[in-house]
Amino acid sequence: MNALEIRNLTKTYPGFRLQNLNLTLPSGCILGLVGENGAGKSTTIKLILDMIRKDSGTITLFGQDNQKNTVLTKQDIGVVLDEVGIPQFMTAGQIANIMRHTFKNWDDALFKDYLKKLALPADKAFKDFSRGMKMKMGIAVALAHHPKLLILDEATSGLDPVVRDEVVEMFGEFTRDENHAVLISSHIVSDLEKICDYIAFLHQGQLLLCEEKDVLLEEYGLVQCSKEQLEELDADAIKGKKVSPYGVQALVKRDAVPAGFPVSPVSMEELFIFMVKERA
Amino acid sequence: MKGLLLKEFYMTAKYCRPFLLIVIVFLAVSFFGDDNIFFILYPVLISSMIPVTLMSYDEHDKWTLYSATLPYTRSQLVSSKYLIGLIFGAAAYVISIAATIVRMQLNGYFSLDSLLGMAVILLALGMLAPTLLLPLVFKFGTEKGRIAFYVMIGLMTAGGTIAAGLGLQFALPVGGVWILAAVVLIIVLLYVLSWRLSIVFYRKREL
Repeated sequence: MNALEIRNLTKTYPGFRLQNLNLTLPSGCILGLVGENGAGKSTTIKLILDMIRKDSGTITLFGQDNQKNTVLTKQDIGVVLDEVGIPQFMTAGQIANIMRHTFKNWDDALFKDYLKKLALPADKAFKDFSRGMKMKMGIAVALAHHPKLLILDEATSGLDPVVRDEVVEMFGEFTRDENHAVLISSHIVSDLEKICDYIAFLHQGQLLLCEEKDVLLEEYGLVQCSKEQLEELDADAIKGKKVSPYGVQALVKRDAVPAGFPVSPVSMEELFIFMVKERA
Repeated sequence: MKGLLLKEFYMTAKYCRPFLLIVIVFLAVSFFGDDNIFFILYPVLISSMIPVTLMSYDEHDKWTLYSATLPYTRSQLVSSKYLIGLIFGAAAYVISIAATIVRMQLNGYFSLDSLLGMAVILLALGMLAPTLLLPLVFKFGTEKGRIAFYVMIGLMTAGGTIAAGLGLQFALPVGGVWILAAVVLIIVLLYVLSWRLSIVFYRKREL
């Protein structure tokens, strides 16, 4: 079953429009939603969680419309927003007391395990935590009620590499269960490259692509050549290019490039930048 | 809902402690001062401000957004604020009425009619601010709501002072228990209406 399905989702604000978004997140997978600031990532997440009203389209969570039985559905979702949202003075114990009466499946022992694992002090106020610790607390709360779907909005932004690595490992562990899925958004592409099974690029409210990461890495490559050499290639093979006095760097579809033409691997970040610039 | 109420109790215990001191000081002053109702009224007024105060912290801490991701309905999120306001408002109200009775006894002019009149005035004025303001705050957010609240308290204080200066007495035209009961009923109905209106506004609000 798909944990999340979005079909033709549209939402308009003055000066911004999320247009005909289509996304699918199968259970057991991690989907990374990549886009620059203001691309529509948070709008998408708010629409999924029914925090704002859509203009048109459908959103289903675990096969159910997201506006039906919302409370019941949210019992199975763990959310971490970019500023977490836990009251500033609260300690881990107070948070646990609230969440115990909020989530049917709240697991005190599991929460304590996460606190220990993530080196979070139980008696310190939330406001005294660093950004990394705040995020880790948000993640511990989100995981401690045995959710089936984790939704993280910019949750890895601003984390130091060590913390990021810990967090990435936790998400990997979480999706080892085939009934679990993660939707994670970030404007830092490299944050998501490591952990995601699927990648969706959002740019100015439009979906540029949504594909399995490994397929993307297989399908696309970079060529470094002269202008003349590039002109020899099929125009459809070229998905973006950067011209400099020293030559041309181009993003290409590997299968449309003649055999023997040197194509090097492309990173997700390069792929995203080329695609965005090509549209500009 | 229990989780939400618990969170509101933690918040009140943390942020509204100064209110307790104000209640004690004002009630103490009311014993020694003249018959100005303001010192009795003020503790009820600031207690009725608790939900708005908490909502302002919620917005600052981003709890407003986070709570919308939790398994609660918008109706429960609104109701928890009304309930916490009722609990602390009722506590302040009972204390203020008790203080009034004690003062009346000490001064030797206890009168059931005056007490009932006073109780209804206190109830009306205590419920006025949350009844009017909470729907606005749920619709527009706390910033505009709080400004309106402070303006209202200022106007009421000024009005009270001017009225006292003009020698006017605060008293209901006590025409019997039925009139008082009718007034109480209207106050309660308006509060319920305010609660329902807040739910409608908050359901429509985009967070």
